[in-house]
Amino acid sequence: MCGIIGVVSIGAKDAALAKITLDALKSLEYRGYDSVGMASMDSSHLEVRKAAGNVEKFERIKSPLSMKGNIFLGHTRWATHGEPNDINAHPHLDCTGEIAVIHNGTVLNFLELKQDLIAKGHKFVSDTDTEVIAHLIEHYRKLGMDNFSAFKQAIYSIQGDHAVLAIIKGDNRIFFSKKNNPLIIGLGDDMNLISSDVWSLVRVTNRTITVGDDELGYITATSVYAEKITGEKVNLASRLIIQQIDGSATSLQGYESFMMKEIRESWGAVRDTIVSLMSDMENMGKAVKAMDKARRIFVVAAGTSYHAGLIFASRLMRIGKTVIPVIASEHDNVKTGEDDAVLVISQSGETMDSLLAMKSYKSNGSFVISLTNTLGNSISYHSDVALHTRAGPEIGVAATKTFTSQVGALLLISSLMLGESLDYLKEAESTVSNSFSKSIGYAEKIGVEVAKKHSLYYLGKGLGVPMAMEGALKIKEIAYIHAEAYPAGESKHGPIALVEKDFPVIFVNTGEHVDELRNNLKEMQSRKARVYVISAGSELRSDQEITEIMVDINDKRLAPLALAPPLQLIAYYAAKERGFNPDRPRNLAKTVTVR
Amino acid sequence: MKGLILAAGKGEGLSPYSEKIQKETIRVVGKPVIEYVIDGLTSVGVTEFTIVVNEKEEQVLQAVKDLNVRVETVRQKSPGISGAIQDGMEYMDDMFVLAFGDIIAPRDFYRELITTYHRSGSPVFSTVPVSTGLDTYGLVKVDEGLRVVREGSTLALAGAYVIPKKPFRDFLQYLDEVARDADYFVWTGTWVDIGYPEDLIQAVEELLKSESSRISNKASIASTAVIGKSVIIEDGAVVEDFAIIKGPAYIGRNAYIGSFSLVRDFSSIEEGAVVGAYAEIAHSLLGPYSVTGSKSYITHSVVGDRTKVGASVITASYPATTKRQVSGKFGALISPDENIPHGVVIGPSYRK
Repeated sequence: MCGIIGVVSIGAKDAALAKITLDALKSLEYRGYDSVGMASMDSSHLEVRKAAGNVEKFERIKSPLSMKGNIFLGHTRWATHGEPNDINAHPHLDCTGEIAVIHNGTVLNFLELKQDLIAKGHKFVSDTDTEVIAHLIEHYRKLGMDNFSAFKQAIYSIQGDHAVLAIIKGDNRIFFSKKNNPLIIGLGDDMNLISSDVWSLVRVTNRTITVGDDELGYITATSVYAEKITGEKVNLASRLIIQQIDGSATSLQGYESFMMKEIRESWGAVRDTIVSLMSDMENMGKAVKAMDKARRIFVVAAGTSYHAGLIFASRLMRIGKTVIPVIASEHDNVKTGEDDAVLVISQSGETMDSLLAMKSYKSNGSFVISLTNTLGNSISYHSDVALHTRAGPEIGVAATKTFTSQVGALLLISSLMLGESLDYLKEAESTVSNSFSKSIGYAEKIGVEVAKKHSLYYLGKGLGVPMAMEGALKIKEIAYIHAEAYPAGESKHGPIALVEKDFPVIFVNTGEHVDELRNNLKEMQSRKARVYVISAGSELRSDQEITEIMVDINDKRLAPLALAPPLQLIAYYAAKERGFNPDRPRNLAKTVTVR
Repeated sequence: MKGLILAAGKGEGLSPYSEKIQKETIRVVGKPVIEYVIDGLTSVGVTEFTIVVNEKEEQVLQAVKDLNVRVETVRQKSPGISGAIQDGMEYMDDMFVLAFGDIIAPRDFYRELITTYHRSGSPVFSTVPVSTGLDTYGLVKVDEGLRVVREGSTLALAGAYVIPKKPFRDFLQYLDEVARDADYFVWTGTWVDIGYPEDLIQAVEELLKSESSRISNKASIASTAVIGKSVIIEDGAVVEDFAIIKGPAYIGRNAYIGSFSLVRDFSSIEEGAVVGAYAEIAHSLLGPYSVTGSKSYITHSVVGDRTKVGASVITASYPATTKRQVSGKFGALISPDENIPHGVVIGPSYRK
């Protein structure tokens, strides 16, 4: 995910237009914030300024308001190909410096295109996939095509979802193309704009037109044109909408909440994570080999990442590996050695406790593998092998899609270590998405019911235990309801003393040891607890009175992926019912960079 | 972008009431149901509307005549919901907004529809999570891409869409076809699909739940009357001595609440309605210009326009009835222009 904006004007120019572009970038920052860049152009020159870091830093060190021109592009990046640095930031130029391109998406076939272009003499400066688009346009122009034809030809050559904007020196048009990533045109006075979202436009104009998939075209200061990829002209005017937007909504970019948005992105995140790790076999091979030959494996993480780590640890401990989960802030209690491997899991890669733990273990001579969700972070920098989940930016403080993609990554890694066939992971994406639509209605009902309670239990067996812990953490974090997770069998050794009439107990059923779990459930029922069940694969139902969310899975190993959405949604609806903003829980920060 | 609104359904769940009145025109908390839809869509920039109607066209036109929007009506010729959409679609552009006229939801519901469309540029479905009555809705299943299904999901289609104009035979089948490229949003706020009398009662509750008190200066309220929390009283309404408007409640324009009467717990007394002395009204919708006699007790009931309920009429609302697999209290549904004689006990689930 990245944010892109283009402005072309015959009235305002220079600083005024730079300001519009910069303001748009500020409101697009939620789409990515690891590097920022702008291009400006008039009939005689084209200039690019860009830098790693957020918009505020870019503004401070690159003084974009001094840029000149009547056409501007702006980009805020979330790195997927090439770590976030000044060179990999957008816009990207062709060899001549006359074509500038910004891009939100992925060019799946970029390696092959890049090799081909290098063979034709093109010089690449960045590690990004985007740069090929600029060179492709250059290439087709050299073949004698007019600018729009060359742009179209370049778009026809690339594979993958995208929203692309391009400008060419001497041409007063901003070319655009869209496939599955958002693009909206704003019609201003003597000025037109095109952006990743409507919220970045409304400061300038309330008249907008949404570009459809597989449509490409161009805007000038006074006109808009688009055609389908098949060549058929598009009637953009019939899609005109006069926006009636008040300021209050813009902070969320039109999403009711980031948490819901991010839960809905979790199956795509799992898919992208697995595909990306499978195509990075070099690092995966190193990681698996190091853990295979290690005497012991230490899994170091905090919070949600720790729960994902527990799933990984359980899978390997079951076949006799020595895997020791360590809560990052308690790392002093554990001493690793030279023949040990350490797996550090952190969404941001900047979690202070995890960073300190890994540094300490590394100084013991242990081999360190990291699993993080950003490129170029401190933890991956200090690790021997850096692996990445591909969940994209997560704004909600409570981890949702990053947890699910960690689980996907760790299932893959553990399967490689166990020598299992990876076929079952083909169902990973649909397991999560089907679970979402199958469970959301019941999750709402359960969330609304438990919202009235002060305390509840999450009980599970096997891999259901870390899932129960994650469910309990979510409802504590965002709904402020005290919740405790326990192995179901352990509950009768103490916790059951608290259970009285209508005390809520959520059973997390992975389909393992179903009979024992059913006995535990009966114990709770006989104390008149209000019992709910979330099941993956096989039902637990003992009577009709119990609300049971039943999610189908084709392989038992997928159970944690199937259980994540209902556990997250229960917490979400409980928070909503209690009137809390699930995105911004009190006392919590997204990334904990203190000890 | 143009909007197509459906207001031609038979409304069988509201029979016999709906034989006289098109359900989209029933007034709930001061506005016809369809006005909630038009107001929501207008607030997000839809300016031209085509409404598909049946022989009760005049009622629909009457319900929307004071709204400041461009509206044309089309008589439904082809049968069923699929037919209604196709008859109206002729007047739409390539992409258009389709809204069911019997949904009560706030403006934000339609805002999410349009912002989702902005994000995706593709067709958009509104959805709501549901846990009961799943078989009464078309459901959206999220697979690799969306599917529209009859079972296996708890995400129901919520009656507002951005879809392309294309000929089709069956609407749900068409949505399933469109679904592959579609985006969706999950709505979690107020949303009531008006199909049964219980829905009207629930709509009153949902609408009043979020309201703060608003008392018109042009209402005439006796000094001994008691007005509680979340009470709306419109121009010209009269609340007589010792009446208690406990709230949450809506008292429409020129409505009349007699002495010693109690109006409580999510009741809506529409324009010009009269409640006699010593009556008690709870969880009910009293239609415009209806008259409820003295000493009556009306609960979980819907009283039609101009209907006359005699004195000392009691509506019984339990044992509860079941609709969409949910058990709920329901007293009486009394059609417009009917008379209920003095002194009778009616309900539960009485319909006339």
